[in-house]
Amino acid sequence: MTEPLLKIENLRIELALRSGQAPVIDDLSLELNAGETLSFVGESGCGKSMTALAIMGLLPEKVGSIASGRILFDGRDMAQMNDTELRAIRGNEISMIFQEPMTSLNPVYTVGEQIAEVLRRHKGMNKRDAWARAIELLDAVRIPNAKSRVSAYPHQMSGGQRQRVMIAIALACEPKILIADEPTTALDVTVQAQIFDLLRDLGRDTGTAVILITHDMGAVAEMADRMVVMYAGRKAEYGPVSPVINHPRHPYTKGLISCVPHLLAELTEERPDLTEVPGIVPALASFGTDACLFASRCDLADDKCRSQRPPEVAFGDQHSACWKADQI
Amino acid sequence: MSALLDVENLSIRFPIKRGWGKTSWLYAVDDVSFQVNRGETLSIVGESGSGKTTAALGVARLVPNSGGKVDLAGEDFLALEAEDLRKARAKVQVIFQDPYSSLNPRLRAEAIVREPMDSIGTLPVAERAGRVAELFEQVGLRPEQMKLFPHQFSGGQRQRIGIARALATNPELIICDEAVSALDVAVQAQILNLLRRLQRDLGLTYLFISHDLGVVQHMSDHIAVMYMGKIVEYADRLSLFNDPRHPYTKALLSAVPSVDQSRNVDRLLIPGDPPDPLNPPEGCRFASRCPFVEDACRVDQPQLNAVTDQHKVACIKA
Repeated sequence: MTEPLLKIENLRIELALRSGQAPVIDDLSLELNAGETLSFVGESGCGKSMTALAIMGLLPEKVGSIASGRILFDGRDMAQMNDTELRAIRGNEISMIFQEPMTSLNPVYTVGEQIAEVLRRHKGMNKRDAWARAIELLDAVRIPNAKSRVSAYPHQMSGGQRQRVMIAIALACEPKILIADEPTTALDVTVQAQIFDLLRDLGRDTGTAVILITHDMGAVAEMADRMVVMYAGRKAEYGPVSPVINHPRHPYTKGLISCVPHLLAELTEERPDLTEVPGIVPALASFGTDACLFASRCDLADDKCRSQRPPEVAFGDQHSACWKADQI
Repeated sequence: MSALLDVENLSIRFPIKRGWGKTSWLYAVDDVSFQVNRGETLSIVGESGSGKTTAALGVARLVPNSGGKVDLAGEDFLALEAEDLRKARAKVQVIFQDPYSSLNPRLRAEAIVREPMDSIGTLPVAERAGRVAELFEQVGLRPEQMKLFPHQFSGGQRQRIGIARALATNPELIICDEAVSALDVAVQAQILNLLRRLQRDLGLTYLFISHDLGVVQHMSDHIAVMYMGKIVEYADRLSLFNDPRHPYTKALLSAVPSVDQSRNVDRLLIPGDPPDPLNPPEGCRFASRCPFVEDACRVDQPQLNAVTDQHKVACIKA
């Protein structure tokens, strides 16, 4: 087997709270292979975005820090790198697109200038070449009439087009990994379908691996090869998408799937109440306790769940961190 | 069944200043008609900018209308003025999208829920505190939480306060404007179940605005699909989701990714964005993005015609 592109080993990220340090990511290990799409799912506050920021070396200064563990990219440990080394990777080999395409672009520069800036800084291109390449990139992300739109300002574009520009900027240096943090949450479904289509084609054509952070199980089912379900800073379940969605082995995964009203191939008159996952994600201060953090919301929980952190159990390629995984 | 709400030819337009004293008009809602039966839910769906929220707010007279008729429980709601209007407002209440910005941060939860009773309610003053307590219980909040301020609640609990406030005047119609879009999925399920339980228990009528078709599928009895200020398709739940007729509805439905992987095949992708609403095209407004367009589509605006009793489509090819 070839080495994975990105390997995270026992990563622990701590956030400074008034009451001390809390592990916002607690003992996270995972691998990402070239060309695959890996999805992170979970509610807000479960550590999805924090993991992405850690990979990018963008943890909030003085608040968040990597306490232990390694982030191996091409065999080098990013957790030990200084700013200069990180900057050589960030944007060049790993880049990121964000949820809100309006606030991620600079309103006083044309989109062409913003794409060209990346090329000049990272690739050392001259102004003329960078501009020409910017047009090519806009064309690649399917902005109609790229030659004239390259001089447009962000406010002259729709939300979907702005997200395409963000993708063009992220892809400018042909990164090996693209991290997409809720890339379509602010967009309409028809536009979301266009963006997903684009990401899928780009992944196929360029071999870029994609980390897709989302809360939408439908999006996961459609886009990802493998998925990681995060809960309270820990991996609740991970594995290939089909088995995890069709037969989840963690009550949280099961809850996330069944609490959403899905569109099915054929609807019927039946409309039972949605399955509720009672309560909310626990407060950050209780992260890191030696217990299953989902226990307070789980109807299967017993004393063991409340007093010992469950280890990961494997079912083929599917792994679940639940004491009762074999009963689900 | 009788219609509680009967909207006829409602139009809502906004002036857009073009400089040098020129003004263009943007028709956010253009000649829209629909009915909602008592105790049922009508959802209006569409992309952002389609006019769905404006239509609902126009019904509640929260934005000025520029024509049409809204009949609410036998009363001509748009014709009401001053004191009559103030009283009638008790019949229509709104649950807003953002549970963070729609609650006054300086008021305690009980004061927020009580406010509509004080301003437009008919309940005697002495009974209002008891009614607040009753509402808290109905929406699943604990009595001791009445004294707390909004920032002390989670997003889902805040939305429960918003629901309690909307119920405070015993309204007949509740407009849910993207009422669960800002919530996490697990909390969203709790709120959706609560809304359905309240509808069953209190016989409420909902006008439900949402862009999430999964949620709409779960909540609605009838659905109106809007595109650029027009209703392009109107149908009961099963007809709309199992037998969509308008190309825009088809595209909208097929764009939703689903865990049911048999649904994710044969996607009908529509290119581009809607055209400029200040210069809507002649003929069918969807023509510029429609995969089935032909010359005749660009001539006249298609009318909303019945294909079956419960199913209307505005497309010459339907």
